[in-house]
Amino acid sequence: MESPEQVFNGIVKEYSERLYWHVRRMVGSHEDADDLLQDIFLKIWTALPSFRGEAQLYTWVWRIATNESLNWLRREKLRAALRFASADDLVVQRIEADPYFNGTAAQRELAKAVARLPEKQRQVFVMRWWDELPYEEISAITGTSVGALKASYHIAQEKLKLNLSESEVSK
Amino acid sequence: MTRKNDISVPEGYFPQLEQRLQAIPTREVKPTVFQRVSPWLAYAASLVVLVVFGNFIFGRAAATEEDNTWDYVSYLSQSLDPDGQIELVETVDLTDDEIRSFLIASNISVEQLALLNYEEDY
Repeated sequence: MESPEQVFNGIVKEYSERLYWHVRRMVGSHEDADDLLQDIFLKIWTALPSFRGEAQLYTWVWRIATNESLNWLRREKLRAALRFASADDLVVQRIEADPYFNGTAAQRELAKAVARLPEKQRQVFVMRWWDELPYEEISAITGTSVGALKASYHIAQEKLKLNLSESEVSK
Repeated sequence: MTRKNDISVPEGYFPQLEQRLQAIPTREVKPTVFQRVSPWLAYAASLVVLVVFGNFIFGRAAATEEDNTWDYVSYLSQSLDPDGQIELVETVDLTDDEIRSFLIASNISVEQLALLNYEEDY
């Protein structure tokens, strides 16, 4: 039987890179993604004894990562509010300043528009558009029905279209 | 628009990340501000229970348990510096409602509250 350390190391090997890309899309910069990933894996390690196997390991790991990402975004709002700033603007500034962003101007505009979406719409959009997860898997991870996820993704797309056309107009 | 290849990582990042993450089980966990103040929170919670229970027994009108709890949170939030406040709320999983309640209890201004810009998500 595998020791908890061996199970944990297996999770790190299997999921760290994929979760990094998810978290990076959620928080907007490499540095924040790196910090948050440490917290996520610390949480996975701490919670590992309570993993009973009712959910698939994959779903359980992703659930911790997405919940932690949402919590990070909420705390970011709080941090920003305590300092009289807007959290969305802070994330957008980080995307602007991120030295590891090497996409086109249009891709940067998309990343900034996604950062302005409400947290859960951002989560669904990131999981569908960039992580390319099927709705059924997103549903298992988030505990939200497939119908609600599709509606949320549709609303997110519409907002992005509107925001992106507005940013084109304002250029 | 292509979906990928617009973001990158420093060279050799993932092998190094894997090493750092695999060191987590050997790491000593530092107590957070919340963990440091949690005995006081537990003490406050037990006082709240006593007061509420006492009021129930003796039929006296008094503040609700929620009011007392938030008074204490308000006291805590005002007694910590901004970084301490953030660390306090960072250590627990918070819902949007809890954040709002915390901020209201901290006597936050309406302008700061407006910056949170909450919307219905799903």
